[in-house]
Amino acid sequence: MAEAVYLLCALTSAACAVLLLRAWKRTQSRLLLWSGLCFGFLTLNNVLLFVDLVLLPTSIDLYVPRLITGLAGAVTLLYGLISDAS
Amino acid sequence: MIRPLLNGATAMAWLACALFFLRFWRQSHDRLFAFFALAFSLLAGNAVAGALLYADDERRHYIYVVRLFAFLLILYAIWDKNRAGRGNAG
Repeated sequence: MAEAVYLLCALTSAACAVLLLRAWKRTQSRLLLWSGLCFGFLTLNNVLLFVDLVLLPTSIDLYVPRLITGLAGAVTLLYGLISDAS
Repeated sequence: MIRPLLNGATAMAWLACALFFLRFWRQSHDRLFAFFALAFSLLAGNAVAGALLYADDERRHYIYVVRLFAFLLILYAIWDKNRAGRGNAG
């Protein structure tokens, strides 16, 4: 159950990234670029989640890299929103 | 010490994103922004829950069910927007 959820998180976030970046190429809207990059980071975050909790043994802990990629995604989108709003 | 700090920073950043989208929604009344605001609020709650639960807590994977729901909400919002766009064009 948990493994399927981690995998689905990675797949759905990758789908979000692809759709947003495709929309950015079509419309050239900068907000779509930042959103797409944000979901790119989130995809990386969810791939790390799967690797950390399913593939790697418990002796190896990727929690901090996972937190950093999640924060990078949030900050990327926030930067885009702030620079677009001004 | 660094873990709750990073979780808190992530929660704050998602919450700020959600508030931006809430403002866009209030200005434009575009449903896409309302869905985005809701999804990013869920991600903010997710980061808070991540900080509060211990790493070996059995309930931990439910956090990721909520996260999956947030991603599905974004996908639905994009699909909904594209469908509306096609409707207007045709």
